Amino acid sequence: MSIVQVSNLAKRFGATQAVADVSFTVEPGEIFGLLGPNGAGKTTTIRMMLDIFRPDEGTVRIFGGDLDMEKKRRIGYMPEERGLYKDQKLEPTLVYLATLKGLDEKTARSRLGPWLERFDLAVHSEKKVQELSKGMQQKAQIIATLLHEPDLIVIDEPFSGLDPVSTRLVKQILEEQRQAGHSVLMSTHQMYQVEALADRIVLIDEGQTVLYGAVQEIKRSFAGNAVTIEGQGDFSQIPGVLETSNRNGSWHLALEIGTDPQSVFRTLAARENVRIESFALEEPSLDDIFINVVQNGAAKLEVGNA
Amino acid sequence: MRNLWLVAKHEYVHTVARRGFIIGTLAIPLGLIGLIALIILVEGSGKNNLPVGYVDHTGVLEASRQATLPDAGDHVEIWAFPDEEAALAALEREEIQALFVLPADYLETQRSDLYYLEEPPSNDVWGEFDDFVRINVTAGLPQALQQRLLDGAGITVYDTVSGREFSERNVVNMVLPFVATFVFFFATMVGAGYMLGIVANEKENRTMEIMVSSVTPGQLIGGKTAGLLAASLTQLGIYVVATVVGLKLAMPYIPELQQATVPWDYLAMMALFFLPAYALIGAMMVAIGASVTELQQGQQVAGLLNLVFMLPIFLLPIFFSNPGHPLLVFFTFFPTSSFLTVSLRWGLGTVPLWQLAISWILLVASALFMVWVAARIFRAGMLRYGQPLNLKGAVEAIRAK
Repeated sequence: MSIVQVSNLAKRFGATQAVADVSFTVEPGEIFGLLGPNGAGKTTTIRMMLDIFRPDEGTVRIFGGDLDMEKKRRIGYMPEERGLYKDQKLEPTLVYLATLKGLDEKTARSRLGPWLERFDLAVHSEKKVQELSKGMQQKAQIIATLLHEPDLIVIDEPFSGLDPVSTRLVKQILEEQRQAGHSVLMSTHQMYQVEALADRIVLIDEGQTVLYGAVQEIKRSFAGNAVTIEGQGDFSQIPGVLETSNRNGSWHLALEIGTDPQSVFRTLAARENVRIESFALEEPSLDDIFINVVQNGAAKLEVGNA
Repeated sequence: MRNLWLVAKHEYVHTVARRGFIIGTLAIPLGLIGLIALIILVEGSGKNNLPVGYVDHTGVLEASRQATLPDAGDHVEIWAFPDEEAALAALEREEIQALFVLPADYLETQRSDLYYLEEPPSNDVWGEFDDFVRINVTAGLPQALQQRLLDGAGITVYDTVSGREFSERNVVNMVLPFVATFVFFFATMVGAGYMLGIVANEKENRTMEIMVSSVTPGQLIGGKTAGLLAASLTQLGIYVVATVVGLKLAMPYIPELQQATVPWDYLAMMALFFLPAYALIGAMMVAIGASVTELQQGQQVAGLLNLVFMLPIFLLPIFFSNPGHPLLVFFTFFPTSSFLTVSLRWGLGTVPLWQLAISWILLVASALFMVWVAARIFRAGMLRYGQPLNLKGAVEAIRAK
């Protein structure tokens, strides 16, 4: 049984079609990436999934059925537009939010201590939220999401506002949650953050599913759509190349779908001012795939047993 | 139900712990205590307890009859003097504070002379001597007749429909509902203001989305309303207790208060209208709070709305001259003004039962409708950060399936 099953969701706000046709599932014990550029419809999709917005079309099934209060308690949600009661103290606020998820106050308090220690917030527990830095508030939000030990964690842009140390800590915690058998749905436009974490992804653009499947299979299917070149000369203005960048002295070329790497090689070889020392096909990063699919308007693609 | 209770409890605890709430709640009792202390101080320090003297040339006054005055123990002593010379000498020595001289034709002319040194006797002392003269003049008459003459003229109007009575001797009973009206209304508007602040702050703090992922919008708003209502009732309870204690303390110093009775019929009627009126105003504030992006915007809109609710206050002259005026009957039926109009009409006159019934039914119906509308607008507007919900959007939200 899928933890989440979203089928053909659509939502319109006035003249704007925020979500046109989005489908995916989230399976038990996996980290699932909901990806897309800003304004693609990720947040609206999540809000429909959690019954905050009602979809115009499509269906959502959570834990095998419609979302009810009992199932809401099994979900930990950290929205993109997040905040805590600024004029209230940190500890009572987190305990209050946990009790709304079904915990009694005593249990909430006993669970809260270790989390505050882990996020270096224990000394700030009696401070008002408005006295905490933005990063501290972000960490407090993560605690609020996890304190009731949810089976499904839904996090919208989990790393925004976090320093590198905290980002690493959050990644570690998400990994722990997966190992504990909990499912994580992570929405972000930062592809590189998902690459190492997510098992599967769905990429939506302009409200529609454009890419859906296991991360490794997607990368394999897009292999050949990027090349790495060692050499010197002018590597710009190459037909069929979406983006050219230099990383640590190597040239990295993201190719349009359908572009034959051999034709790129021939174009470069024909240039008198270019010297090629090595030319290799590379496994594309999710960033490359994202650019390829979104900017190049690639056709809808489902990979493997999505 | 558990979540509704948790939200209500959290809202109540948070509201009553606010500095503004504590100050607002204690301000009235403290003000009342201050007022009573002032009255006691003025009464205590300003009262001249020296005896009053009199010289009676009519031969009808007997000093011993002052013992039959009501509350005789609280009165100043009244001393009889055989002639003006001895009495004036006592006044010069400041043994008495004033001297009344009743000439032989007093019973015909009802004219007397008053002597004092610097300050005339207070109205209370004057009244006490007046009572003493009345008792003496009517002595010898049958007791019932004497009592009737001592009571003097007094008009009491009985309303045959409601059974209420209005007497010029019981001004306090007429004033009390009037004062209570404003206390109730003040508490309602303060509660409504909190409601607006809570919803707008929830949006400003970006906590709305976290909350509605744990509770339903109905539980969120219902819990907050219940918490605030409990806080308002706490405030009202403190006001009522403070008023009762204050009146008890002030009673010995303000004789008019001794005739006061608790207006139970009025309180029952207010309780009946209070909840739906509170729900109506609260729901409107929820709708406004969910539609705007900042509390300040909401307060501007709410300010205009408050004027609509306070409209009857601008018609006070009509309330005093004719509580049954057709315009006031209209405002009795109009839901936003019915609470205040009914309260004021009830305090100053009577309201026919059929008008009360129609008014209450219309108020309850409009409150239920507004709660339904507010829930829809709240759901549509709660996550609109930085973009207010316009009228078209609100209508669409209300009409949405």
